[in-house]
Amino acid sequence: MSGPRLKLALEHDSSSRGGHIRDIVQELKRLHWVRGALIVAADGFVIAADLPHTVAVDPLAALAATLGRELETSAARLRRPSFCTALFSADDGTMFLAACRIGYLVVLADAQVNVQAIRGALADAVALIEAAWAPAEATG
Amino acid sequence: MPLLRRLWTPRGGRAPLTVAEALRRAEQRRREGRYTEASLLVERGLTLDPGNITAHLLAAYLHTARRATAPAKEEFRWVLGRDPNHARALLGLARIALEEGDARTCHDLLRRALRFYPDFPEAAALMEAVHARETAPSTAPSARAPRVERLRLPGTGRALIVARADGGLLASQPVADDAKDVAEAQARALRLAATALTRAGLGPLHRAIVEDGRDAVFTRTDGELVVSLALPRATDPTQGLLDVNRLWSATLHELGLAATSPAAAPSATPADTSAADSTRRVS
Repeated sequence: MSGPRLKLALEHDSSSRGGHIRDIVQELKRLHWVRGALIVAADGFVIAADLPHTVAVDPLAALAATLGRELETSAARLRRPSFCTALFSADDGTMFLAACRIGYLVVLADAQVNVQAIRGALADAVALIEAAWAPAEATG
Repeated sequence: MPLLRRLWTPRGGRAPLTVAEALRRAEQRRREGRYTEASLLVERGLTLDPGNITAHLLAAYLHTARRATAPAKEEFRWVLGRDPNHARALLGLARIALEEGDARTCHDLLRRALRFYPDFPEAAALMEAVHARETAPSTAPSARAPRVERLRLPGTGRALIVARADGGLLASQPVADDAKDVAEAQARALRLAATALTRAGLGPLHRAIVEDGRDAVFTRTDGELVVSLALPRATDPTQGLLDVNRLWSATLHELGLAATSPAAAPSATPADTSAADSTRRVS
């Protein structure tokens, strides 16, 4: 996988996961051409966000979560594999969406962003979340 | 078992958890994506106070966050049974209705929420998406279907869908029983994505790539027409966008919407300059 990789030292200590979530968002935000990032639960609840001041967080999170659920439920209805990542591009930028155990990762980027780099970074972030959250969720 | 013991007994184990404390801790864990632990705390709260609206609402959120729609609906309905104008419960049920393809119910629930709380930002954003669905052009390039056999798929191409933005299928290749359902599902997702892009100040949607464990579906749209091409997931994004751009131009030609013939060129040959330029922009 080309492009920058997220450098995070996620511990499996559940008490520090709130900090880890913020780390993940901030690492995504630091990538080249990225304007902002957020993690939203499937119910639309914003877990962590670092977005430009011009973007209202809650409405975007609600739409991103609804979009993620739409992609998941459509795939289930059509008996197809669920989506891993999605990219939607417009004149003035691109929105990335990745499904993870605790919800969805969203990245807003400039139009000239390196798609492969962001996809790689999102895959890393999803893997980190999986590694840190799966044991605790299984315990319950 | 240690986890359960920790959640049901406060630190030090001296006094039992109060409802307020259980819910406060549940909310904290929810904020960290620790849904299982949060759910156990909510259960604890409901054991102590079965009629607690906040606990039922939190339970509904946690079910939704864990993608468990049926129990989430039950909890949202329980809340609305006690408070018919509870905006958060109305929004929660509206989102589930949208997931289930019931746009009318979703619209009604959102309207109720917005009647009492006109400045409810999440409800307003979803209402935009629902309105986009209702106002999607249904007549645009529908006069005739493109002669799909003239749209040559790239060698690795798995499926092609040509549809209107409202989900009406114009053509598919290969002809599949579920092509109509796929076109409708794509239309729903693209409308939500378009609304999200607009909310983020990025402008109208032009392209999409949706990857699952097997395929990458490359899509191009102008808000009226949708052309999507399924390729193997390992396809380079630039190549996939070039391929869908070529098919986009060929489709416009077949529909009589393009001035010049793109001649259904071979794979990786962009049919027009603007398409090639646009491809470079996103990759």
